[in-house]
Amino acid sequence: MALVVRNVSISFGGTLAVDAMDLDVAASEIVGLIGPNGAGKTTFINCVSGAYQPNTGSALWNEHELIGLPPHQQLRLGIARTFQNVASLHDLTILDIVKLGANMRGDLSMSARIAGMFRSEERLEQELIETLLRPLKLADVAHKPIQTLSYGHRKGVDLARALASKPELLLLDEPVAGMTAQEGMAMAGLIREVRDRFGCAVIMVEHKMDVVNSTCDRITVMASGAKIFSGSPVEVQRDPEVRRVYLGED
Amino acid sequence: MFFIQLLSAGIATGSIYALIAIGIVLIYKCSGVVNFAQGAYAMVGAYVTYALTKLGFPALVAVLASMMVLAALGIATERLVLRPMLRAPVVAVMMATLGILIFAKAICLAIWGPDQIAFPKIFPEGSINLGGIFMTYNYVAAGVLSATLCAAFLAFYQFTSLGLMQRCAADNSRAALAIGIHVSNQVSIAWGMSAALAGLGGTLLATLNGLSLGLEAIGLVAFPVIVLGGLTSLGGAFVAGILLGVLEAFTDGLLTPAIEDFLRAYTNVYSVGALQQVVPYALLVLMLLVRPQGIFGRRGTERI
Repeated sequence: MALVVRNVSISFGGTLAVDAMDLDVAASEIVGLIGPNGAGKTTFINCVSGAYQPNTGSALWNEHELIGLPPHQQLRLGIARTFQNVASLHDLTILDIVKLGANMRGDLSMSARIAGMFRSEERLEQELIETLLRPLKLADVAHKPIQTLSYGHRKGVDLARALASKPELLLLDEPVAGMTAQEGMAMAGLIREVRDRFGCAVIMVEHKMDVVNSTCDRITVMASGAKIFSGSPVEVQRDPEVRRVYLGED
Repeated sequence: MFFIQLLSAGIATGSIYALIAIGIVLIYKCSGVVNFAQGAYAMVGAYVTYALTKLGFPALVAVLASMMVLAALGIATERLVLRPMLRAPVVAVMMATLGILIFAKAICLAIWGPDQIAFPKIFPEGSINLGGIFMTYNYVAAGVLSATLCAAFLAFYQFTSLGLMQRCAADNSRAALAIGIHVSNQVSIAWGMSAALAGLGGTLLATLNGLSLGLEAIGLVAFPVIVLGGLTSLGGAFVAGILLGVLEAFTDGLLTPAIEDFLRAYTNVYSVGALQQVVPYALLVLMLLVRPQGIFGRRGTERI
């Protein structure tokens, strides 16, 4: 197992948002995290990615403890995440944001990092446009400010930014929310393609079941902060408890 | 010809203003603090350069070393004063920077005394003749050096990856943090760079006007510059700095004699004093009344 999460709990005030969650992700596996609104999916991702400090629990990534590690240190371990609500940056262009991701790659040495800080990077820019922005249909707007894009396209930029850091573990928080059904399926295809090309493991929080079913190798279902089921997409569809809690059947 | 003479002198001093104002804007963008200690950095930079040349270091080494000392001082300020005040109101932090200014002035007073000191010659003596315009090497060097450095710094900020991280941290620090930028390091870097730029500005100013505690007043002149340029625009600070320098030169060379001629003809008043020192602040008041966000500022920019 590449990522081993054990017994992660976090409460806000008296509310237990995540309750003793366990999750295992193998190398280059795509795991979907689904569940009703308020199930604690995003909170769980926030605990693993260092945005929140959980009350208990551990998350080991190749022997490194991730809990409490700030984002810039997680990037050095090859972990990148995207956000449900894309951060608002006013002054930066789309290419700038993707470049930020590329500049924070984990596999660079300290000296290469410092040298890179003072270089302008035309070749890198071309490479990023061709390999990341072109497949996301964002190549033509690369030099525009990100605020000019729709919500769905901004999510694409956020994904490109995360991918530019060449992650080994990618945490995606609702990657297709706000997209049309067509764009959503295209994004799902891209996520699989990225996994096949870079071999990274992926955890994705998502609501759209068609996207989850066609993208994920395994699905974990959360309800009220706890894991209630884990299995292949077919198994999840068949499980009576999941159908009752999440898919809305009696 | 006199006109061009004034213009070139104005551009030279204006570039130094720009150098110091850019530092204030940089710090404001990154940490939201209006740094009153910028004048102190300029003054300390000049004194450190002076001390190093006294110790026998060559001029160039002394200037570079003083910039490094100032960078360290800027980073130390951020780590030791700003960071513990992270949750304090911005006004409290600004008062702390004012305290640093007073403290630095007292230290310099204790070490070097209150008198004006002849600044060591960093650039060769003499002047050049550019088609009838005479400029001393001091002015040429100060102008060219600070203008080049301003331009280089703007390019650095716009085109390198460290500049990109600076821009991202300045744009939205929470977002920058979330996508993995070490924001507090970026703020330290901004303070270091600002202090180094101000230190060089102070040294250059001392080559023109001599070395004294009064150098810290440049920190105040920088405020009309950033109000004129817009508090959040580095390019604006550059343009406004040069504009103000030119304006001062014209006031000194054209407006003051004209007003004095007028007054002498019709009244008993003989002199109007150093009118060029009033102009920046008159402009400051006017600008705040008419367009508080500055020439290049944007909506949402705070007034100071």
